[in-house]
This record gives sequence, C-alpha cells and structure tokens, in this order.
Amino acid sequence: MSETTNLNIAVVGGGPGGYAAAFLAADLGMTVTLIDPEVNPGGVCLYRGCIPSKALLHVAKLVEESHQAKDWGIEFAAPKINLARLRSWKEGVVKKLTGGLGILSKQRKVRYVQGRAEFENSTTLRVTKTDGAEEVLSFDRIIIATGSRPAIVPSLKLDTPRMMDSTGALNLEDIPGSLLVVGGGYIGLELGSVYAALGTRVTVVEMLSGLLPGADRDLVLPLHKRLEKMFEGILLNTTVAAVQDEGTGIRATFEGADVGVSEAKPHEKVFDRVLVSVGRKPNSEIAGLEKTQVQVGQRGFIQVNKQLQTDDLAVYAIGDVVGEPMLAHKAMHEGRTAVEAIAGHKVAFEPNAIPAVVFTDPEVAWCGLTETQAQNENREIKVAKFPWAASGRAITLDRPEGMTKLLIDPQTERVLGVGIVGVGAGELIAEGVLAVEMAALARDVAMTIHPHPTLSETVMESAEVFFGTSTDIYRPKRG
Amino acid sequence: MIEFKLPELGENIEQGDLVRLMIAPGSTVSAGQSVMELETDKAVLEVPSSVSGTVQQIHVKEGDKIKVGQVIFTVENGAGVRSAPEIAATVAPTEPVGPPVAASQPAGSPAPSSAPSTPASAPAVERAERRAQPQVASEFKLPELGENISQGDLVRLMIAPGTKVSEGQPVMELETDKAVVEVPSSVSGVVKEVKVKEGEKIKVGQVIFTLEGGAPVQAETTRARNAPVEHVSGQHGARLAFQAAIRAEGKTEEQALPPDQPRPASPVFSMPLQLGKVAGTEHRQAIPAAPHVRRFAREVGVDIYEVKGTGPGGRISEDDIKAYAKALLSAAATAAQAPPRAGYFAQPQLPDFAKWGKVERVSMRGVRRKTAEHLAEAWNTIPHVTQHDRADITELEQLRARFAPKAEEAGGKMTVTAIALKVCAAALKVFPQFNASIDIEKEEIVYKQYINIGVAADTDRGLLVPVIRDVDKKNIVELAVELSQLSKKARDKKITPEEMQGGTFTITNLGGIGGVGFTPIVNHPEVAILGLSRSRMEPEWINGKFEPRLILPLSLSYDHRLIDGADAARFLRWIAEAFEQPFLLSVQG
Repeated sequence: MSETTNLNIAVVGGGPGGYAAAFLAADLGMTVTLIDPEVNPGGVCLYRGCIPSKALLHVAKLVEESHQAKDWGIEFAAPKINLARLRSWKEGVVKKLTGGLGILSKQRKVRYVQGRAEFENSTTLRVTKTDGAEEVLSFDRIIIATGSRPAIVPSLKLDTPRMMDSTGALNLEDIPGSLLVVGGGYIGLELGSVYAALGTRVTVVEMLSGLLPGADRDLVLPLHKRLEKMFEGILLNTTVAAVQDEGTGIRATFEGADVGVSEAKPHEKVFDRVLVSVGRKPNSEIAGLEKTQVQVGQRGFIQVNKQLQTDDLAVYAIGDVVGEPMLAHKAMHEGRTAVEAIAGHKVAFEPNAIPAVVFTDPEVAWCGLTETQAQNENREIKVAKFPWAASGRAITLDRPEGMTKLLIDPQTERVLGVGIVGVGAGELIAEGVLAVEMAALARDVAMTIHPHPTLSETVMESAEVFFGTSTDIYRPKRG
Repeated sequence: MIEFKLPELGENIEQGDLVRLMIAPGSTVSAGQSVMELETDKAVLEVPSSVSGTVQQIHVKEGDKIKVGQVIFTVENGAGVRSAPEIAATVAPTEPVGPPVAASQPAGSPAPSSAPSTPASAPAVERAERRAQPQVASEFKLPELGENISQGDLVRLMIAPGTKVSEGQPVMELETDKAVVEVPSSVSGVVKEVKVKEGEKIKVGQVIFTLEGGAPVQAETTRARNAPVEHVSGQHGARLAFQAAIRAEGKTEEQALPPDQPRPASPVFSMPLQLGKVAGTEHRQAIPAAPHVRRFAREVGVDIYEVKGTGPGGRISEDDIKAYAKALLSAAATAAQAPPRAGYFAQPQLPDFAKWGKVERVSMRGVRRKTAEHLAEAWNTIPHVTQHDRADITELEQLRARFAPKAEEAGGKMTVTAIALKVCAAALKVFPQFNASIDIEKEEIVYKQYINIGVAADTDRGLLVPVIRDVDKKNIVELAVELSQLSKKARDKKITPEEMQGGTFTITNLGGIGGVGFTPIVNHPEVAILGLSRSRMEPEWINGKFEPRLILPLSLSYDHRLIDGADAARFLRWIAEAFEQPFLLSVQG
C-alpha cells in the first residue's frame, strides 16, 4: 500500500463520482488531477440535476401546502411568483455548493483543470482547457467519470426553446400555461410537479402502463392519486407520435390504445412547452478512447469489473458511464471503491442495497429487493406493510396516504428490501438501507426503539406487522 | 356409521405422513379432539376430528401417506358435522366425557361463540364450532375501517371468482378520504361471487364477495389456534396482487408479462429492477453480512459465500470470517504436519490379500518407511505441478566428452547430473523463489542465501538424497568429484544423516534407466525438483532441414503455492537454454 500512495492519477469528470474519487485519492496521498469543463466540480448533479431540482421541489411543496392549509384554518392569498428571484435563489444554491467543492479541491491540493480531456493512450491525456490552452499530461491511472446526458428521441426533435430536456426545464425561463412531459419516470414527475405547483397545466405521457416503471405498484399508487389531482392529465400506454412547431405552441400527436376513448385522452393537443425526459445516455463517446483497451458494451456503458477497472488495466470507470442505476450516490461509492482498488486495497463494489428515491410529493423510495424483482426471480418473500393512516405523525401532517413495507425472507426473517411512499420517504429509506446492509432481521427492526411521534416509527411498525403485533394497527399474522 | 376423512389442511398441502395415531377402535372421539399427528412438508400438524362417536374401524396406520379426503376411521352412533345432510341426520353425541358439542346447530346459523363447556375443553369446542360451519356459501362484508370512515372507493380488487382466500389475506384496496387501505379478508375459502366492481363506492357492511365451502370466522375470540393453519406465501400474495394489478390495467397476464420475454426495451427510463446488480457485479444473492465484514473477508482472502454465519438469520460476523480462515489454515497445517501415521497409514481397511493367493509380509521400517512418510507428507502438503521442457545438449555433449578426462583425473565422473548441478545453481540465483521454503505458521517465505542441491541416488536400501553444499561456489569438475564420492558413500551405506540435510533444491536423474519424462515429487520443505530423463537423438528442424540433435527431456515439479506456472516455465526454459549455451552460465550464472 505504501508504494501506491505516490501514484499520479487523473479523474475525468467532476460529478459526484468524480470528485468523491479525486478527494479520496488525495486523502490517500496520491497526486490528483480533476478535469471538468465547469468552473468548479459538481457535474450534472449539482449544476443541472439533483440539487437545483430539489431546490425547486422545496418551493413547489411550500406552494402546495399553502393551498392545503385552507383545510387547517389558515388561508393564504394566491402566491405571487417572482420568477427571477426564484431562479437566482436556485442558482445561489448551486453556486454555494459547487464553490464549496472548489474550495475542498484546493484544500486537498487536487489540481482542478477546467477543460476537456482526450486520450492519447492508456495513461496520457490531452487536455484542451476552457481558456484555449492545451496540455498533455501523463498519469499512472485514469478514472473515467464522464456521467450521462438526457436521451433524445429523434422524432421529438424540434429547434425551438419550447422543446426542453431536463436542463432546459431547470433553467425556468418562464411559467408556461401548459406543459407536456414525455416520460413518466422520476425526472419527468419531479419537474412536472415543480411546474404544476407554479401554475402550469401539466400533462404526462408514459408509454408503459404505469408511472415510474420498475417501482412496485403499491408504492406508486398514492403518488399517482395525488398527481392525478395536481396534473391536468396522465396518459398511460401512450406515446407521442409527432410534434409540430406551430409558432405559438407545440402540437403533439398521441398514439396508443386508449387515445381518443375520452375527452381526457385526446388524439392531439397544443402545449406551450414540452419536456422530454425519457431517460439518460452514458457519455462514453470520449475522444481517443479507441487508443486504449477500454471496452464499451451494449447501450454505451463502459465495461468494468467489480473493482471498476476497465479492460485497460490503467483505466478505471465509475458512475453513470458504467451502468444503471444512474444515481449520484452509486457513483460516489464506486468512485471511492475504484480509488481504494488503485491504492491496492482488496475491495469490490458489492452493495446489498442501493437506495432509489423519487423526490415527488409524496416521495417514493426503495432499496434492496423489490416485490417486482422477487416475482421475476420467483423468490418467496413475505411482505409486511404499515399504512401511514395508522401513523400519528402522518395524521398530524395531514398526509396519511403513505405506506411503509418490508420485504422479508420467510426462512431467516431477514429484511431483504424496504419500500416507502409518503412525505419524507427519501430520508426514511436510509434506515432501510442500513437494515439491508447489516442483514437485520425483522425482529431487530421491531425491537429498535424509534422516536415518537415520527414517520420513522412506520419502519419499526411494519416489522411488527410481520409478527402480527403492531401497536397501531390490527392485522393478525398471516399463515 | 359416519366416516372421518382427512380434511383440507392448508394451501398446497395434499397429503401427509401419519406420524402418530391417537385413537384406537373402541375409543370415543368428540368433534375437535385431536385424533392424529400428520407430518406435511411444512410442519407436523395435529388433526382434530370433525365427528363424534365411538371409533369402529381405523383405515390407516402409522407411517402411511394420507391424502386429503381419504377415510381415516368410521364411528358408530356418530355425529358427523361435516356437511349439512350429515348434520340433518345427527343425534346428540353419546360421548360420555366431553361436553355436548355444537354439532346440532341448525344449518346456516352462526354458531354461538360460547357453548357451555368446561374451561379446559374450551379450545376443542372452538375448533368444533369452526368445523361445525355448514358448507353453505358465506359472505365477506366490508368491515369497520376506522373511526368516522363509513365508505370508500374500491381502487383495486385482488380476488376473482375461484380465487382461494384465507383469513388475513388482502382482498382489495379501498380509498377512503384519508388514505388507501388494504382490506384483509376475515374469511377463508374459495370465492364464489364478487359483488362489487373496481371504481365503486362501498359502504361498511356491504357484501364484497360470497364464499364457497368457506367458514366465516367469528369474533376473534373464537379463532382456532391449533387447527391446521393455511399457508399463504408472500409469493402467492404477490402473485394475486400482480394479477389484480394487471386486471386493473385492463390487460391479460400475457400482455402484461409475455412468457420468457422481458418487458419491451423502451427508450423510457425506468428505475432498474435489480438495484445492487449493476455492471461488474455478479449475480449472487445479497450475503447476510455487514459491509465491513464483507470487506474484511475480501482482505483476508475468504470467499464470504463459503462462510456459514452463526448470527441470527445466518448473519456472518467478523468472528465467523476469522474462524473460517483459521479453520482453512489449520486444515492446511494439519495436512502439512499430520503425523504420517495419520496421513499415510490411516487408510481404509485393507482386504485380506491372502484370500486370492499366497502373500509375504516384510517389515517396512528403515529407508522405505521414511521415504513413504516423507513423500506422502510432501504430496499432501504441496500442490504439485510439473513443467516439461527439452534441452538440446548436442554441443554440451561434445564439451562433456572433451572435459571428461579432466574429471577422471580428479577422481570424478563428468556426468549430465554434474553439469545439471552447475546449471541449476546458476538458475537458482536468477530465480531465488525456487531456492526458498514456505513458513505457513509465520506466513513467511524463507529465501535461502545458500545453494545446496540434493541428488537422488538409487541404492539397494532405497532412495537416498545426498546434498552437495554451496554448489554455486564450485566448478563442474569439483562438483563431478564430490557427486561421485557422495553417491558411492550412499551406495556403501556410509553416508551420514548430516550429508543428506540442508538441501535447497533437488535433482533426480532417471536417464540412466530410460523414459521420456516423469513427475518427480518435490522434496519438502524445498519447493522444486528437477527430473532428467534419458537424452536421445531426435530430428530437430533447424534452418529449413531436420538435423539430428541430442535432446535431454527435463521435468520440473514445483510447489504451486509459492511458484506461479509462468515462473516455472521461465525457470525451466532458462535451464534448457543454459544446457544449450553453456556460455550463459558464465554470463549470468
């Protein structure tokens, strides 16, 4: 290990995976160069993804709650939205965080190069800096952390600012009267919620039969119910066949079995703006990559082993560019694992659970095994559910539609997966991840004292449901 | 006369092994009384009788496999309570001890929750009551859902006519103005008719579905606790939910999930189904161990999937990993240090050889036994691999012939073995790991700074290996002389144990006898041994034509724990080349 600490490494891409890798490498004594086109580290997550969208979702929730407050005897006037102020607040959040990362880089003596890198060979990069200068640098190891970008559907390409991807939607140029969201995945639903809260009439189109494909249906249902009220329309089993720029709006033509059966499911409609959020594509088209042994597999993901090493022994790759799930926290863990592997530690990326969170209102979150997956694998599990209607905290929040469930191995009674829908599910799921990673038994969770009155109690109580002894709900043990 | 047949025991349980019979002809049974123990593949169950009376004939015996519906016994003067016609024919039970059972309840009316009975026999009565329900379709009504909730919208129905439901199984999802709730059934049986539709508003008390052959469950106090339990697996529940979900989406199951075909690849992002199974990770199920334990296993080189966890639910602790690693090491050490008696002599019992002919038994003491012990130990300890190569010694042979008189003068014999000694000494300098030993206990490799080479000698006492010291510091003539002297001593039984110790490498030459190659056994604790076979003239393709060349076959066995195959190949190639170009010796040796 000691002989590896003076390694000279480069990290290409300054997103969460990239800067986590760079910082750990510096902490382990390596000489680190971090290369990214932005002024500071942060990547899509901080500049155009997780962080700005969460800032806006916070605002959206406030607006929604101000409406709901009527039921509690507090009435607010309709909100006046100062878009410029909102935008600058959001940008302030981004600046604060990315600036902080810049300072952390300096403190760790990570050399941050603002520019784009191109491979000369496995260990040499030609960096074209943003100021136009060029530099050829050699390293012992290179970590590719180039991330992903919004996927584009060719038939939905129109050269007009009315046509947006997630980046455009986060710019918040105006509050359109109507918005079509193409794709009922988490990005579309999060951004659709923001615009709906700001007053836009939002329609979501999803080609599959439900929102958030892949998530367990019982977790999606409460969200679906609420979005039905928030959105103008949710068109399932529907695709957008064509879009046409009509100057004053975009005319979208729909296709699908249900199209035209009712007024709510029209054949076509004009929208002020269209957000295409049909997924993300890995940024594996890196200049000069063919001069290395790195292999790019199907769907454009760079192939790596459990140490995140590519087929080129000097090159590692992490994050969105190596595969699903394309999540910042997965990338960060991979980045750290790659650096430890480079340092000669015996490590592997082998989590038992990677949490997935959809930051809508209510939030949907899960980790470990899902019911859908158990079904596909023909795995016998027991599911213990605790409806939030029985949670005191949820009632005080006037949000009883949530649900917490544990997926339990019937033989060992070990917690294999956790699913939560409800306000704050994204925070609550962390306990689930810990339970799965620590191989906790349902009994461990049930016997852990949770603070009252909190939503976290629902995790404990769902474990109690498994034993048929939940305090706040009567549900005798099955079989 | 009434028959008692094996009742339904639970889902997917069609039969069981009769473990114990608790009745005999002439015993009196009452409804609810346990009459036998049955072992199904889920559990051992006590099966209660549903009839009362005096046992007349028993149709089964212990150890039998019994199917649901099979006749177990018949009773005289019995009171059958299994079906309405039987009930109609029922007379009051004649059973002397037990309390009167609720068998004579009029068909269709719910049994009272407290029949007159002594406390001790109350459970039996409960069971009896439960069993006593006649097989008429019963109903499931929407129960109380909570305070001030009088109705709800039916969001999702999880059952259909023909679905088997069991108590506690969720049958529908109802949206009230507070939340979506799952409504569990309070009855068990097969759904006959569903009286509601998805999207309908349903009031508390409204009939949801009717049941065939079901028994409505009474107030919780009468829930039978030791009656056979119906098992609903999570899988089954999930399946029902899935079916209901796709029905709700107006699809058939095939549409929703085409057989053997994943959902169509769409450009739409979907949260990956298999989180945790990402690029580069293997398809192994999540191991029950905390992250730091998994890493610890990796660090000490233990495959955690081989470790059995001692914690609850099979959880693997750091101590489990340590214990496993220790067991591995001590197993290896035991193999290495096991007294040969155990290792070599502990064999399955020998047959009586004399059975097939005359035999002679001779003591195996002395060299033969030592050899046996030593080789068995080496074989048990060392993972052996043998690498073969060939050396062209045409040139060398000419040199050997030229210098042979010099050696003769000095009192030695210039043999291939003598030259091999010099070659090997040079090679061992270049490849020090072949001149090493493994110290398992200290987990260290011992590199020796001296080169002492043993040469296997074939004597009439057996195999002896005299060791020539500091081979690297002697020239070939000196080596030839020393080798001749030691070999003679060995054959003359004059060699001392000291002269056979301290070797770092061994050469064994069977070329004098013949053969084209063999796999020598490493002379433990050394890590490699070179075997020489008979050299012979062979056609070699040189510069476009075959030339007769003298070829010496080389066989190198080595300890694969310490030496990698590639290194062995390189080492042996080096030796072969040294034989071919003796100049190498002076350059590198």
